[in-house]
Amino acid sequence: MYIWLSWVMLVTLQVRKGLCLEDFPLSQAIKLEKDLDSHTLYIKWRCAHPGLYDVEIYRTEFMESVFNETVEARWDKNNGLCQWTWTSQFPLECTSHSVRIRSRDPLHVGEWSPSSITEGKDIPNNSKIQVYPQDKVVLVGSSTSFCCIVGEGDDFVKMMYENRNERELRLSRRSYAITRTNQSASRPSGNNVVCSSREAMYGATIFVGYPPGDYDLTCDTRDLESAECQWKVGRDTRLYGRRKTRYTLNGRNVSSSRKQIQTIQVGKWESSWILVAENPLGNVELRDSAQLTDRVHPVAPGDLKAGNVNAWNVTLEWTWPFPTYKDLPLICQVQITANAHSDMRNFSRPGLSQVSLLDLQPYETYRVIVRCGSQNNFWKWGDWSPQISFQTKMDRPEVPDIWIWMKSANAGFVLWKPLSRSESHGVITGYEVTQERAPEDGQWTYVYPMSQRNATLILQDNSSQSVVYVRAKNSEFHSNYSRLAVPKYWPDTEDPVYEVAVRDGGFDLSWPASANGTLGYVVEWVNTACGLDCTVDWLKVPDGNTSAKIPSRDLIAGVRYTFSLFGLSDEGCELLQRWHGYSKEMVPAQSVLNLEANQYKSNVQLTWGKIPCTSQRGFVRGYNIYLVHISSLRFLTNITDPNVMSYTVKKLSLSSYKFTVKAYTDAGEDGGATVSVNLGPYSDFLIVEILVSLGSMSLFFALIAGVCYKKRNWVKKAFYPDIPEPKLPDEWTATQAPLEVKPSPHSMVQIMERQWDSGKGGLCTVPENDEDGSGTGNEPMDTDSDEPPLLQYYNQVVSNSSEVHPGSDSSSSTSSLASANTDVTYTGIQISGCCYNAATEESAECPGSYRPQMLSEGCQEEPQADLESPGLASFGGYRPQCSWKVDSAEALSFDSSVGSPTSVNSTQFLIPDVSTEDSRNTSTSKWFPSFLSGKTMK
Amino acid sequence: MEGPSDAGVPGRSAAAKALDLARLLHGECARLLDLFRERESFPADHDPEGGRLVSLGRWSDDMSAAEQVWHHRCALRKCLGLLELLIAREEEEEMGGGDEGEYEAVRRAVRERLGHLLFSTAALLDDGDDVGDLSPQHDCAEGRDEVEGSGSFAMKLWMYKVLLELIHWTGSTSKVLCELHSEREAKQEQTDL
Repeated sequence: MYIWLSWVMLVTLQVRKGLCLEDFPLSQAIKLEKDLDSHTLYIKWRCAHPGLYDVEIYRTEFMESVFNETVEARWDKNNGLCQWTWTSQFPLECTSHSVRIRSRDPLHVGEWSPSSITEGKDIPNNSKIQVYPQDKVVLVGSSTSFCCIVGEGDDFVKMMYENRNERELRLSRRSYAITRTNQSASRPSGNNVVCSSREAMYGATIFVGYPPGDYDLTCDTRDLESAECQWKVGRDTRLYGRRKTRYTLNGRNVSSSRKQIQTIQVGKWESSWILVAENPLGNVELRDSAQLTDRVHPVAPGDLKAGNVNAWNVTLEWTWPFPTYKDLPLICQVQITANAHSDMRNFSRPGLSQVSLLDLQPYETYRVIVRCGSQNNFWKWGDWSPQISFQTKMDRPEVPDIWIWMKSANAGFVLWKPLSRSESHGVITGYEVTQERAPEDGQWTYVYPMSQRNATLILQDNSSQSVVYVRAKNSEFHSNYSRLAVPKYWPDTEDPVYEVAVRDGGFDLSWPASANGTLGYVVEWVNTACGLDCTVDWLKVPDGNTSAKIPSRDLIAGVRYTFSLFGLSDEGCELLQRWHGYSKEMVPAQSVLNLEANQYKSNVQLTWGKIPCTSQRGFVRGYNIYLVHISSLRFLTNITDPNVMSYTVKKLSLSSYKFTVKAYTDAGEDGGATVSVNLGPYSDFLIVEILVSLGSMSLFFALIAGVCYKKRNWVKKAFYPDIPEPKLPDEWTATQAPLEVKPSPHSMVQIMERQWDSGKGGLCTVPENDEDGSGTGNEPMDTDSDEPPLLQYYNQVVSNSSEVHPGSDSSSSTSSLASANTDVTYTGIQISGCCYNAATEESAECPGSYRPQMLSEGCQEEPQADLESPGLASFGGYRPQCSWKVDSAEALSFDSSVGSPTSVNSTQFLIPDVSTEDSRNTSTSKWFPSFLSGKTMK
Repeated sequence: MEGPSDAGVPGRSAAAKALDLARLLHGECARLLDLFRERESFPADHDPEGGRLVSLGRWSDDMSAAEQVWHHRCALRKCLGLLELLIAREEEEEMGGGDEGEYEAVRRAVRERLGHLLFSTAALLDDGDDVGDLSPQHDCAEGRDEVEGSGSFAMKLWMYKVLLELIHWTGSTSKVLCELHSEREAKQEQTDL
């Protein structure tokens, strides 16, 4: 029983297994097919139904698994095969691959099938070096793997893609692989992959490019029978030779060129066209369809020629090569070119082959081309005909445009503008100018050559009316006359002149309508500063217009032009208005002239002259004045009136200044003129200074005089003391008789006793009288006087009168006289025997001492109770007027003054000998500061 | 058409002129190979393997200089055939992209100058009495014009070998022309004496 049950279960399982999961068939049931170009391996095996299978693929030699996944096989019920497709990264030639399969369901996994092998090229039978893939064509940017199978027994060295080493992967014993990603377009001969082994070198070529990109296929007909198809080649495929793009049109191979636009001829028109462009990377299909009448593309007119050529028109004729054009409605364009100017005229008619060209210019050379298109269902213009040229005939010239420019009251120029080519209607041979004067003066006519642009005009009288006629001549015809009455001469300065500026490339002039412009107006312009040889231009404005635009392109920048408006009427020409203008204003070319700086007190007046008109180069709007610092300009002021040409800089201190004056126009200011000025004391101030000085001096002296007057007593005492009365001895000689003057009775000499050092003489002090002599001789000595004591004693009376030798005067009085400010006058007492002798003797003993009136030795013997003899004998003391003796008491009588000096005037102090007694030194040292301080020494 | 320069030094012998031409051609062939290698990015340190494409049918070191020249001329004639085949294949494949660059210019110059060298050597041998019974129709050299293997790279290798052959045979021809020139000069000197 147990055995039976086991057997039933086993049978049941076997049946179930057979129903639900097939045990994998024998190995030969796996069939491997491969596509080497795409590296694809097709794995096929027999199966009863689709399902899941485990597929394992590995490189046979190294048993290296490259794929091991569960896949859902595609089942073909017709042949009962399951199929799975695998694509290898590397070419299948590189090495052998083994494949095995097993079935799988959720509950059971089948047994692996025996492996099936697809052989690579690395089997021993292929012993030479090989590289795969060969001549592969890929898209730009794609990746490609290459393998190198080295020769049997050889060693791999390296693989290079376009001379660049690549890292290799070993696939089998002899096979090595590399992968190149993102490849760029190859060169025409393809990129090379080179494999080097120890003994050999081989490689492969790969072509990297693009699929075709052609577009815009159109077909049309030229002869109304055949077709001509065109298309444009797109991006360069970068593939050449056998890999380049091939074309078929409606299934027929067509050749191509290297042009961007391809054109092929097809013998018969077809209503639809299909162009296929193909290369190894892909193909593109272009379609076009149309009826023949909608695609007429006429050929170029042939045998084009000009017939019946006149001055103003011509007839063009041409032919068509196809009879089918005879009834074809055509529209034709005629392009006429003359003097680089083209004109296009259209004509239409069935089978059009002749047109008339009107409104041509006489004596003009024209170049003509013609093209046509289908008038109905216009498709495109046909080809241009070959160009022909012809010349129209001559005709009468146009009337020349004339003007008369008066340079003075009775002289001017007749000007005319040369006729242009289109106005000449032929070759101009000259201009005929006729001046018609007053009837009694008759007229004159001259013919000028064609190069002449003017004729000189001479008027006998400015008031007489004269008319000028000008006509042009070409080689066959005369023009009509151009007539103009001679205008009056209008100087540039007589009328108010307006400024006009350039706007939009010209001067816009406008004016009010004038009764003098019934025949129109003329605007004349000329360089304002030009002399006689001026370039005059003009513009005629028709009647009714009151504005004109004068183009500025031909005018010179920075040059002032005068625009004159004349009215034309039957009465002649009359100036209506004038303007000045610049085509372009510039900064002045020159600085102001004659810049000067003049000082007025503390001000400086700057004056300058106007810039010449030719140098202004713009309207001078004013002046800028600057003070020049070391390296910069300090703006002082802006003078906005160009007619003001002076400026005063005020309140400047005494220094040096530099001023710069710059004129300015709308374009800016010029470089500037500079002037220097050195601001010094001005003359008025100098005079005032002198006057003040003089006044001050006068006042000072007056003050001094007043003080002196007020203090005259003091002055007299100080500088002009009375000469003490000499005490005359009784034996006054007769020689003194002539002096009748007697000393004042109150004159006396008071002898002051002093302390004397040994060897020093005593001094005799003489009391002085008042200046006015009010004092008497009996008055006590004025001890309260302001005078220094020394001044009181410098006239000393010596008691012992003696003879004074005249020679002593030379050493005393003479020396005193030699003093510039000492004037000691002696009256009849100059010759004193005492002084003479004393001087003679003293000359050896007291040399060098100032002794105007020294005491003689004899004087020392006179009884002077207060004087010590040693002092006197020493001659060291100061002894003025020593010729006078000290007399007795009776010498005080008035008569005793006879023979004494009447005056002593000396401003030079009598300086005692330094070797005299100390007391005198002391007196001397104290006197001078006391004098200066005005104090009296007591 | 560029031809050999006859405006050289007056009195120069035909052998000397042919020698100059061969040397010039040899240099141009080397230049052509450089341009080819540059165009194809071929490594300069590895020449393709294989034997000669052009080989002499009968060769002995005992041959006179004139006979050697005659044999070399045969080889050069084969080389010219290979070069023209090379040009045809390159143009068919548009390997230059359809434009003529320096490579194409040098290639054309080599072909023309090689023709002149063949002409010069033929005239040189006709003038001499030391060639013996060798006739131009004699099958003196062999050339392999088939490409070993398939594919563009195999063809490029064949072209590479053709250019190497040109360099080899123009250089070898220069040597034998030099010997011939020396021999004839020596003979001329003896005659003059």
